[in-house]
Amino acid sequence: MAFRYILEILAIIAIGTFCALFLYMSASLNGAEFAGTDSAGSRLIANLSGTPLENFQPFIPQWKPPSREIESSLFALQAAIGGILVGGIFGYWIGQKKKA
Amino acid sequence: MEGFLPLQWCIVWWVIALPCLLLGIYQLKKVVDLDREALPLLGVTGGFIFILSSLKLPSVTGSCSHPTGTGLSTISFGPWITAVVCTIVLLFQSLFLAHGGISVLGANIVSMGIVGPLVGYWVYRLLRDTPVNIYITVFLVSALADIFTYVTTSFELALAYPAETGGVVSSFILFLGIFALTQVPIAIVEGIILALVFKYIVTLKPDILIRLKIFSEKQINAARADN
Repeated sequence: MAFRYILEILAIIAIGTFCALFLYMSASLNGAEFAGTDSAGSRLIANLSGTPLENFQPFIPQWKPPSREIESSLFALQAAIGGILVGGIFGYWIGQKKKA
Repeated sequence: MEGFLPLQWCIVWWVIALPCLLLGIYQLKKVVDLDREALPLLGVTGGFIFILSSLKLPSVTGSCSHPTGTGLSTISFGPWITAVVCTIVLLFQSLFLAHGGISVLGANIVSMGIVGPLVGYWVYRLLRDTPVNIYITVFLVSALADIFTYVTTSFELALAYPAETGGVVSSFILFLGIFALTQVPIAIVEGIILALVFKYIVTLKPDILIRLKIFSEKQINAARADN
């Protein structure tokens, strides 16, 4: 019985540990801003190449989400598309199985 | 990171990515023509790439990064078809989120869609015919595909920006410190979650996994007996 749900249990433990680590880190690390690794990466690039960060401009003009809120809503849209696909297909499979 | 990769490198990675994409599109057409039931499996595995790559998760290094979610698709359809799905996701992020960009899309396809899945696929081929539990295989494939995506990103950037002292190797280590280190805990969680999802696929639709010869009937039945 316990073995049957071992993956579920592991997943909960992993997510729990992950959240706990995050809480611990954000409490103990004063400088942690939890920005993307991309910004840390860009800083390193600017450092290595000796070019100031502002000098890096896109080669191909790019539409930028006007604000963080719009950006996060677009990320949520992406997740929603995935969620609809996954949920819909699992439901389709469950239906197929019931019919058979 | 549009603009950060020098133009000549953008072109190099595009040249590498394009033939892989064409191969992927060709394979995709073949798989779907052969078996219409493969389409839902593609939807589920691709759906997880959509979901997981939209999540920016905080990690132990104090910065955030994305999981990739490419493991399931790699196991089910191989690296080339995975590259096609990744391209769709990356294109969405380049066009609407200013995350990545059209010029660096080639480099991003190579890291997320080709090298990461390719490493994962080798692990899968290595472990498939051994008695290793199939969920452990899925875990390893997903976690390694995730980590190697960022190892590749670091390598791409190191090639373009070698350090003054130590050259490519020392800047590779610097970039690894930023991208790959952050990725380790995220990759472990991703691996476990995708293994769990694979368990549900095994429970609900074992026949498609057997028909596509992803795992043998014996392995699938053994996994089902445990559930």
